[in-house]
Amino acid sequence: MIRRLYVNNFRCLENFELPVSGHSSALLIGKNGTGKTTVGVALKILQRIARGTNRVDDLVKAKDFARGRTDVPMRFEIEVELGTKIYEYVIAFELPENFKELRVLEETLKVGGKPVYSRDKAQVHLAKVGQAKEARFLIDWHLVALPIVQEESPKAPLFIFKQWLARMLILRPIPSLILGDSKEETLQPNLQVTDFGAWFSGIIAYAPSAYAKVYDYLKQMMPDLEDIRNPVVGTDARSLEVQFSSDGRSLPIPFGDLSDGEKCFMICALVLAANSAYGPLLCFWDEPDNYLALSEVGHFVLALRKAFESGGQFIATSHNDEAIRRFSEENTLVLSRKSHLEPTLVRPISEIQINGDLISALVRDDFEP
Amino acid sequence: MSVNKYLPYLFVLPEDDANRQLANGFHLNIDKIRQMQVLEVAGGWREVLDLFSSVHITEMERDGNRYMVLLIDFDGKPNRLDKVRTIIPNHLSERVFVLGTLTDPEALRHALRPADLDSYEKIGSALAFDCRDATDATWSHDLLRHNSGEIDRLRLSVWPILFHFV
Repeated sequence: MIRRLYVNNFRCLENFELPVSGHSSALLIGKNGTGKTTVGVALKILQRIARGTNRVDDLVKAKDFARGRTDVPMRFEIEVELGTKIYEYVIAFELPENFKELRVLEETLKVGGKPVYSRDKAQVHLAKVGQAKEARFLIDWHLVALPIVQEESPKAPLFIFKQWLARMLILRPIPSLILGDSKEETLQPNLQVTDFGAWFSGIIAYAPSAYAKVYDYLKQMMPDLEDIRNPVVGTDARSLEVQFSSDGRSLPIPFGDLSDGEKCFMICALVLAANSAYGPLLCFWDEPDNYLALSEVGHFVLALRKAFESGGQFIATSHNDEAIRRFSEENTLVLSRKSHLEPTLVRPISEIQINGDLISALVRDDFEP
Repeated sequence: MSVNKYLPYLFVLPEDDANRQLANGFHLNIDKIRQMQVLEVAGGWREVLDLFSSVHITEMERDGNRYMVLLIDFDGKPNRLDKVRTIIPNHLSERVFVLGTLTDPEALRHALRPADLDSYEKIGSALAFDCRDATDATWSHDLLRHNSGEIDRLRLSVWPILFHFV
């Protein structure tokens, strides 16, 4: 669970801290352009680092500095609680004069307040951990160290943190691009979930019992669901097919032919199964209500909130009144911004004076954070 | 996941935003979340009655699986229950329930803060735990115990819709 996410000088996020500590689920609301999605983009940068992208230029560019302010470092800090330990990861980038690409200014990973490694520009200092000796070495300052530093074992704090960060689910699905085909397995779906088939294969291979969870959830929404199959087609490829049955008749439908909303049900089912099989996970879902019928939205969001109450953390953004109503004042955060020249501000809704119903206030724009 | 109307289900009609959040906390902690739906806030207890009369009576007559909780503030008037009951048709009375805080939810939240129930959602969760575990730790609070008659009725007909009892 995230205890602290701090971002500075990245797009509209300046001296920005997301107050989600202690909340198993949280909702980000606010007008268009206030930075809700950018919070997900910031998390995505950290996730990409953990997934192996280490070239700084592939992560952030000069245009990402807030208002082009290149004289101040761009900084990302995340503090998470995993098991009984607190992990703190900090990375700061800078763009010195005459540099074409940003470089790493500072990078640190601490566990329980003790550094695993720290870094100042090119100089990396590996702390003495367990049997491993203290070490110092140089690294190209255009490369992030986290993907490079080798962990001792899967029990090593570095491995645990990196795996958690890599497995964060940051989702903004585009159902029309999700076909259900796969050539491999993964536990790390991409932003648009176009690799749904590989994710499905990965979860079932990792924990076959996850199929029951997926099926149980989907069966509630689609009572005529009979089976989800993932047959081999061609060489080393699979293609998902959903079998429906009613009144003794059966109908197989290729995954790609499901409706956009039905594909979102499928994604939700995998999120629930993933959190159960290899969680606790952080799931950041940008507008999970997209593509859903109004009568589905409330229960969809509530199912996610409920699932993450027993472990992990679910963060959503939304403009949808049904989704917004499924959260309460202690877990709803309002993002605002006076203009494109000013940074995003975030406040819990409990600190904002609202007259009458929240949704009506949002519609009237009688809402001054 | 919309409400499954092939089985009995519960609609909760909250008076205001605070009551909506109480209902949210309750909803998060039932076993069968698909058998309950929290509706839009009505905007006052009289508006709850207006909405119930103008929309839900007809819908309940049409759908025998629908149960309703009217979630209102009693504003210090326990006899409000009798007033509300006068608008509930006899043939629906077994499926309609009236619950609420004796004064208002803010007073309840203030009173329960020492018990670490410092938000409406947490209070709603605690009320759901009481129902699930057949306890009355929170329902027996001074600002809630006037609901006991309705709770007894709910225990018989509605809790089995929402909870998996062994």
